[in-house]
Amino acid sequence: MRGITLAYVIALGAGLGFASAQYAVAGRPLLGMTQIGAWTSWPRSGSRDIDPYMRAYLVRGVHLPLGAGEGLELIADRDASGVGLDGRCRYLITGTTPTTRGWTLSVTDLDGHAFRLPLERSGFSDAEVVRDEQGDLRIAAAATPEAGNWLPLPSGGRFQFRLRLYDTPISSHANEMRPEILPRINRVDCR
Amino acid sequence: MSVLDPSDQGATLPAYRLPWRSRLAALVRRFALATLAGIVLAGIVHIVTILLIPLVSEHDAATAYMSFGTGGKAELLTPGASGQPDLRDADPATVTAVCSYDLSGGPLRVVARTGTLPLGLSLHRRGGGVVYAITDRAAIRGTLEFVVMTEAQHDDRLAQDEDGETTRELRVVSDTQQGLIVARVLMERPSDRSEAEALATGVACGLAD
Repeated sequence: MRGITLAYVIALGAGLGFASAQYAVAGRPLLGMTQIGAWTSWPRSGSRDIDPYMRAYLVRGVHLPLGAGEGLELIADRDASGVGLDGRCRYLITGTTPTTRGWTLSVTDLDGHAFRLPLERSGFSDAEVVRDEQGDLRIAAAATPEAGNWLPLPSGGRFQFRLRLYDTPISSHANEMRPEILPRINRVDCR
Repeated sequence: MSVLDPSDQGATLPAYRLPWRSRLAALVRRFALATLAGIVLAGIVHIVTILLIPLVSEHDAATAYMSFGTGGKAELLTPGASGQPDLRDADPATVTAVCSYDLSGGPLRVVARTGTLPLGLSLHRRGGGVVYAITDRAAIRGTLEFVVMTEAQHDDRLAQDEDGETTRELRVVSDTQQGLIVARVLMERPSDRSEAEALATGVACGLAD
């Protein structure tokens, strides 16, 4: 009886321990995540005080995160109303970006890879984008061509927007960022 | 003492002949205790596993790019090139060059020339974590320069410094012997690629002394 109990304790401990560790670092960990509107960021992933979960996640793949003084990466997989981004819908990205030396906005799959679309554009940089009279941003993301700054989407399925701010003073206090200073992702309609 | 006497039945009979109610209660108690012990053990296993992953991982960037830039110049990462592990979460609008370092041979001097495109240099320690990051805005007369060293090498250098004289080099302490120096250049337009590649591969990383 004692042997069975011991075996049960060890099996439960090892199984639950390994499974929970594997689950915790299979994707980007929830610990250390900052949510700013529709955007999520892990500002401490590029600093010395990185948490053990993020560290474990990063070393399980070939990752070179942006350093805290180098820039900040923001990921959105939902629109402003909280609905998951879908290639069958059209989106309008409007608003402003924080002060940066340069930024890029790109469309990727859920693993961070660019889609292989017929048109070779997976993103915009701040130099490429055409702005309106007020200097505001207006990017139309859709699978079919749109007027203005058109960002092609895959014709279906989930995707992410990735906004990378290079050399930005906000990366050190990303936790205090307000949603208004980041571009807003609005869904226009869906097929 | 009669066997049929109900008053002392529980005390004299062996455990396996206890009334089924108390046997079940003992079993449940034992199971609950064992489950609790299992959960505590799981917590320990979880924490130890998370802390051990960086020490044993063979798939991290530092291992993947270990042979890069050992000749004293940063080497370009080409997405999709054969025999080269793909960098995950990389921005397609940046050009990345890396330089692997091993401080066992002495401190490393990193020198980068700046251009018109935004350049960032970061120091990634082996086992995850960015030790240091700097951008070309900190450049002095078009040059970014710093020396990477371990804590012990830093102490040596401090001891060698002349008293009262200010040192001109920027010293960065790495808490691991090995790691990567990553140069990232942002291409503002696709036509900037050749300039960006020249900037990124122009980063020198040789022994400091």
